[in-house]
Amino acid sequence: MCGISGIVSHSNISRRLLDSIQNLEYRGYDSCGMAVINSHGPIVRKNVGHVAEVAEKELFTSLDGHVGIAHTRWATHGGVTPVNAHPHTSCDGSIAVVHNGIISNYGELRAKLMKKGHRFASETDTEVIPHLIEEFRKGGLPLEAAFVAALKELDGSFAVAMVSAEEPWCIFCGKHESPLIIGLGRNENYLGSDFNAFIEYTKNAVVMDDGEYAIISNESYSVKRMSNGEPVGKQVMPIEWDAEMSKKGGFPHYMLKEIHEQPQTVLKALAIDEKSIINLARRLIESRRSFLTGVGTTFYVAQLGQYYLASEAGISAPAISADEFLEGAAFGQEDFILAVSQSGETYDTLRVLREAKRRKTRTAAMVNVIGSTMARLVDDVVMQGSGPEICVISTKAALAQMIILIRTAIEAGVITKRITAAEKKQKIKQLESLPEIISGFLNEHSGFVNTLAQRTAHHHNWLYLGRGRYYPIALEAALKVKEVAYLHTEGMPAGFLKHGTIALIDDNLKSLVFLPSEKEEELYKMTMSSIEEIKARGGSVTAFHSSKTLQKSKLLDDQLMLPVSGPLVAPLVSLVASQLYSYFAAVTLGKNVDKPRALAKSVTVA
Amino acid sequence: MKALILAAGGGNNMAPFSSTRPKSMLHVAGRPILYRSLQMLKESGFNDVICVMGPLGKSITDYFGSGQNIGMGISYVQQKKQAGIGDAILAAKGKFTPGEHFLLVYADVVTDDNIVRNALQIFGLGGKPTAAICLPAESGSFGNVYLDNTMNITKIVEKPQDKNLGNYVLAGIYVLPYTFFGLLEKNRADMAKALAELIKREGLRAAMWEKSWIDIGYPWDILAANKMVMDTWTHAHVHHSVQIRDAKIKGPVIIEEDAEIRSGSIIEGPAFIGRGTYIGNNVLVRKYSSLGPKCVIGFGVEMKNCVLTGGARVGRLSFIGESIIGEGVDVGSGIVTINNNMDGTTVKVRINKKAIDSNMAKLGAFVGDHCRLGGGHTISPGSIIEPETVVPHHFTYPKRGK
Repeated sequence: MCGISGIVSHSNISRRLLDSIQNLEYRGYDSCGMAVINSHGPIVRKNVGHVAEVAEKELFTSLDGHVGIAHTRWATHGGVTPVNAHPHTSCDGSIAVVHNGIISNYGELRAKLMKKGHRFASETDTEVIPHLIEEFRKGGLPLEAAFVAALKELDGSFAVAMVSAEEPWCIFCGKHESPLIIGLGRNENYLGSDFNAFIEYTKNAVVMDDGEYAIISNESYSVKRMSNGEPVGKQVMPIEWDAEMSKKGGFPHYMLKEIHEQPQTVLKALAIDEKSIINLARRLIESRRSFLTGVGTTFYVAQLGQYYLASEAGISAPAISADEFLEGAAFGQEDFILAVSQSGETYDTLRVLREAKRRKTRTAAMVNVIGSTMARLVDDVVMQGSGPEICVISTKAALAQMIILIRTAIEAGVITKRITAAEKKQKIKQLESLPEIISGFLNEHSGFVNTLAQRTAHHHNWLYLGRGRYYPIALEAALKVKEVAYLHTEGMPAGFLKHGTIALIDDNLKSLVFLPSEKEEELYKMTMSSIEEIKARGGSVTAFHSSKTLQKSKLLDDQLMLPVSGPLVAPLVSLVASQLYSYFAAVTLGKNVDKPRALAKSVTVA
Repeated sequence: MKALILAAGGGNNMAPFSSTRPKSMLHVAGRPILYRSLQMLKESGFNDVICVMGPLGKSITDYFGSGQNIGMGISYVQQKKQAGIGDAILAAKGKFTPGEHFLLVYADVVTDDNIVRNALQIFGLGGKPTAAICLPAESGSFGNVYLDNTMNITKIVEKPQDKNLGNYVLAGIYVLPYTFFGLLEKNRADMAKALAELIKREGLRAAMWEKSWIDIGYPWDILAANKMVMDTWTHAHVHHSVQIRDAKIKGPVIIEEDAEIRSGSIIEGPAFIGRGTYIGNNVLVRKYSSLGPKCVIGFGVEMKNCVLTGGARVGRLSFIGESIIGEGVDVGSGIVTINNNMDGTTVKVRINKKAIDSNMAKLGAFVGDHCRLGGGHTISPGSIIEPETVVPHHFTYPKRGK
């Protein structure tokens, strides 16, 4: 996802254009740029980094002009480099374009244009657009016709805005499948990927539909159809909205939005190139010792990875929390460290990786933010592609990382010959079933989770228990509740309980147990015996499970029924349920869901 | 944008009130539910509304008239027969013009904040048809709404048979395009089918409501709604004309003009004392009591978690708890509404010849409009007394038959 914006005015716009992409920064923030028209044509400034950083480096506000476009990027095609940042220009620099979306046929378009002598500066799909327009213009089409002809050549999705030296008083724009909205002000007009681009200046907007293009000047705008150039009568919408609400896409909180985005996040994690996964698997197998690391949620992700690597591939790769790593692990030149981080800026994890670099230990990282310090530091990087995660509490990014680790474990299993080709197929199929199971769960069980949270959130002391793969899940679930609902929850292996902690069981300490499916007979029975132990001491047990027999029994004090799923993915379904439970617990208790006290999105300090 | 408010619904399960007033005219925290809906609309910038009413519409027009008393313009549409929501919407079609969107509000839901504003904000995000959704405590009796990750509704399953479904439900607030009337006509006024077609054609955005929401389906839901609304009160308001002598007032209590409270009485908020209501000596009004307007409460009466619609008289030394008393009811002296079962089970209520579990450990009586209850009765938990019933006095002396 990227964000685009534009302003056409009769006064200097650079300050407001900067504000507009700053307001769109939540859509992507690895690089940004703007093009402002002056008497010579478009002046383009762009670079890598957060909007505020780039603005300072590139002196955005020193630009002088009345018409301009801007862009904030979340890379999909091409690395995060200054040349790959938008806007992109034509050969003669007279046309500047910003784009949100993905052009699927850019390879062939680029080849064609290069044959005709166009020189490309970047690796992006976007750059074909200004060159295409230039080409049509050379062919004799007037600018408007050349713009439309270029858009018609594009396959895929796009929202495009263009400024040109030839018609410097206006912005041309068009869209297909990516959002674009025109804002109508007094003697000036605006353009944006969403309302946030111009939220501070006007409350009147025109929402563009697919297949439409528009020409916007400071006093007027016209929307036309790309197919026949005929004007379209558009309704002007007076809008009552607030900025936060719009960024949240209508969800009450980012956390809930991101929980609901998980089916897509899983799909994206499954679409990651098999080669880079196999590469990770090889490193894990071939290195003398392998370690997984992360901190907070990502440590629990790493721990889950440890369990899957052991059971699927017979690899021992202990997970060690990054803050304890240097003291707790011995590693050297022949070893391998795989780090997990959403932001790629986590101080504790970077410290481990820097030390590894010094000792010439091989490193790899699984990261969400392209261009982050960690992504640049390690030898191999797997970009998880989960899209920006805004809520401080990690949900979708963690799930995606788990999927990638499970895929790595499967590939490693194939290499170590523990998994046959047929078994791999079956396991991948299980993973592919997950998006539907999650969206089914969110759509059919949210009410039960909410009711359970309302019934139980007022208890302040909890043990979260699980065995095997459900142990890291219990840890992560406990952390979620701590972070967002501020309840004291302690994650623990269910079998560990009887070795001491069971002494705490009384009326004031509730237990939540994550059960595997009954088909995993051994694990199920062992977890059930922990429940019996707690019940025998008069404790209260809530369970997340999928067993019809258990549902009918009177053993449990409270329960949440989960959809039945394969053993490979069932722990992840429990995880999603626990995320939703923490969310509703926080809402029930009236906590600040998206910005919990004392927490920051990426911990970049020691 | 115009607002259409559906106030016709009588509710089959609302005995003993369904024969004298629509659900929208049941009182919660001192006001009809419809009043609260109108207030939300006014706060959201609607000054003119179209109100569809049914056979008991007179109770609405008597109370609101043309709306000038609440600073709004209300125009009424009479629904010919009680033929469902779709039919009620179609009855108002003539009031709207093609090309515009309209706001649709069901007047039998109660919320603790402005759910209309929330729906309008979501509509404002993209101008798409919008439906408010919420997560009720028990979703068994409602439909199941399916969402995609951008808050678009993909499917609505009406009254699912599968007990294992529990998700967001439609909350009774919509922003719809004019073309929806056409979809209703095409689908024989079937709301569910018309919505399904709308989802296919134009899409339907969900406006998620996370605060409280109660759909009035059974008479005891009024008590829950009454509590929910009163729980939002943070301050006491006492009109300057109110006469209070040696009485104690605690917590958020709203007392309206010309009410009178005599000495020795205690009012524990949240509670509501309506315009012109008289509270005699040594009366104990406990939490969540809504009395009035124009009620007369005799000496030594105790009231708790109850709604007295208005114009009721309660004779001396009575107890009214977890009960709803209709308009103009005369409660004789020494009447006690028993509000629990000795065995601790939840109270069941006979509605339409079926015993329905209210799931409430404490529940008193539901007394229809204009009943006259003679003195000395003890009324069993969950009793329903039909409107205008006259119950003679109960004597223990002389013994009957002697």
